[in-house]
Amino acid sequence: MKNTIKFIPLILLLVVLSCKKDKKDPEPEPDPTPAATTNTIKILFKHTVDTSTLVLNQNYVNPNLDTFKVSVLKYYISNIVITKNDNTTYVEPESYHLIDVSNISSTTISIPNVPFASYKSVSFMLGVDSTRNCSGAQTGDLAQNKGMFWTWASGYIMFKLEGSSPQSGASNKGLEYHIGGFGGVNKVQRNFSYTFASTPANVSASVSPIIHMSVDINEFFKNPTTINFATQHTQLSAGVNAKMFADNYSDMIKFEHVNN
Amino acid sequence: MNRITIIFFLFGVLILGACKVDPKIIEPLPADNLAEVIPEGWPQPKYTYSVNTISEDKFVLGRALFYEEMLSVDNTISCGTCHQDFAAFAHAEHKVSHGIFDRVGIRNAPGIFNLTWHPVFMHDGGINHIELQPLGPISNTLEMGADINPVIAKLQASSKYQNLFRKAYGNDTVTSQKMLRAMTVFMGLIYSYNSKFDYYKRKENNVELSDAEQRGYSLFTANCSGCHTEPLFSDFGFKSNGLTVDPFYQDSGRVHITGLPQDRYKFKTPSLRNIAKTAPYMHDGRFTTLNECLDHYTNAIPNLTNLDPSIPTNGYQFTAQNKQDIIAFLHTLTDYKLLGDKRFADPNF
Repeated sequence: MKNTIKFIPLILLLVVLSCKKDKKDPEPEPDPTPAATTNTIKILFKHTVDTSTLVLNQNYVNPNLDTFKVSVLKYYISNIVITKNDNTTYVEPESYHLIDVSNISSTTISIPNVPFASYKSVSFMLGVDSTRNCSGAQTGDLAQNKGMFWTWASGYIMFKLEGSSPQSGASNKGLEYHIGGFGGVNKVQRNFSYTFASTPANVSASVSPIIHMSVDINEFFKNPTTINFATQHTQLSAGVNAKMFADNYSDMIKFEHVNN
Repeated sequence: MNRITIIFFLFGVLILGACKVDPKIIEPLPADNLAEVIPEGWPQPKYTYSVNTISEDKFVLGRALFYEEMLSVDNTISCGTCHQDFAAFAHAEHKVSHGIFDRVGIRNAPGIFNLTWHPVFMHDGGINHIELQPLGPISNTLEMGADINPVIAKLQASSKYQNLFRKAYGNDTVTSQKMLRAMTVFMGLIYSYNSKFDYYKRKENNVELSDAEQRGYSLFTANCSGCHTEPLFSDFGFKSNGLTVDPFYQDSGRVHITGLPQDRYKFKTPSLRNIAKTAPYMHDGRFTTLNECLDHYTNAIPNLTNLDPSIPTNGYQFTAQNKQDIIAFLHTLTDYKLLGDKRFADPNF
C-alpha cells in the first residue's frame, strides 16, 4: 500500500512528461540578412476603347459604328518571359494570370524574384497553353471555378467579353464572346513580344520597374475582320469563328513604356 | 485505498480523453484494397495517381461527394442517382439521364469502371481528363444544373464536409481541385477485371466457358472485337454504328465537340464489360435488350453519313443461334465481385 502511494509521484511525472509539448530547440541565430539579388517587375494592363479609358457599362462606339457597353472582360496572360540585354532570360515559374477588369488589382501582374539586371524585352501568351488545358483540376487563377472553363468540352475560355449593344442581333441585345480552343488550326492562344526601345527595365535593389501595356478593345472588333453586332453577337465554342476573333485580338495589346 | 482508486480513475479518464479519436463515419477500409490496379496483360492506364495520391480519407471524401445531392442546384440529384452500383454504375431501366426538376437529358448514363484507361469521357468525348469529368453533369442544365461555386459554398458550410476535407487534405478549405481529385480517387478505383471471362482467361478457379459461351466468344472475336477490343472491350474510338438519328434528340455526337464534318453522328465505343447489367443500350438508350442490339447489327443498316466502314450495310450474317451464343458470351463479362463491392456503395444506406 505504502509502496503504491510512493509510486504516485512517479506516475504523475510520467503523465506530465508524456503530455509535455515538444520543446523547440532555441532558434538558431539568423544569418545576417543576405544581400538581395532580386526584385519585382510589374506588368500593368490599361484597358481602352480607342484612346478612351474603358469603364465597364459605359457606352462606346465600335469600328462598325455600333454603340456598345462592356460588362465583363476577362482573359488569361501566361508564360511570361523577360529578356536581359545579354539575351539571357528570366522565365516566370507557374506563369498564369487571369486579368479581370472588374478587379483592378488583377490588371497588374507582379513577378517577384527577378534577378537584378537590365531587361530589354518581354513576351507572353494571351491564353493558356495546350498542356494546361489537358492537365485536369487546377488551382489558383487556373482553377476550374473562375468562370473561364468549358465543362462540356474541356478547355479554357482564353478571352471573355460580355456586354450589350442596341445593334445586337440577339433577342436580349447582348454581346457574348467566349473565345477558346487550344489545339489544331483553330487554336486561339496568341503570342506577344515587345522590345522596350530606348528604356530598358532596370531591376535593382532600389528599382522595381513597371511595364505599361495598353489593351484596346476596339482591336477585338476589327482587323482583319470588322465585327457586325447584328450577326456576330455570340461566340461560345471553339472553331473557325473563334479563330477569327483571336486573329482580331492578336494586335490588341500594345507596349507603352517602362517606369523604372 | 478509496482515494487511490479515485486518483487512478481520474488519471484514466484524463489519458483516455487525451487520446480520444473521432468516431468513424464508416467502417475502416483496409488500405491495401485501395491501390491502383493494372491487371496482367492490360495496357498502362492514361491516368495514374502519382500526383493525386490515394488515401482512405480521400476515397471516403470522394465517395461522399459522389453520393452528395448538394452537388445539384436544388439538392435532389447526386452522381449516384444516375450511376447505380448494382448496375455497374449505369442507370438501370432509364433510357436517358434524369435530372433536376424532372428534366430528362438526351443521352444514356454509361457504366463507370476502368475509367483510368479512358483517354476522353462522355459519349462525344468532350471531356479530356478524369478529374474534370464531374464538372460535366454538375453543370449540365438537364442533369444537376449547378454552378461549381455555389456547390463549393454549400460544402464549405457543412460541418460533415469540413471534417471530411480536413481528414483528406489536412485543412477544411474546400476548393474545386480538392473536390475533383477526391472524386477521382473514388471513381478511378472502380475497377472491373473479375468477370467469369477474366477468370477463364487467367485460368483461375478452374473456370471454363460453356460451349455456347465459347462459340459466342469466337463469333465476337471475328466480328466485334475490332471496336470492342480486349481487354477493356472498347477501342475508345468514335464511330457511327448505323443508328438512325433520333428526330427528337437530333444528337450529332462527336461533331458537337470537334466541329469536323467527318465526326457527325459518331459516338464513343462503349466497353462491353458488365453489358448484361447496364441496359438500356446505345447512346440514347433506344434498345432495351441485348437481343435488340444484335438485331440492329443483323438488320440492313441504312447508308448513313460517316457509317463505320467495318459495318456491313446489309447487316451481319448471324443466325438466331449465333446471336444467342454471342449474348451468352456477353454475359460472361459481368463482374459480380464489382457489383457486390460495398466500398463503392452509397454510405448513407
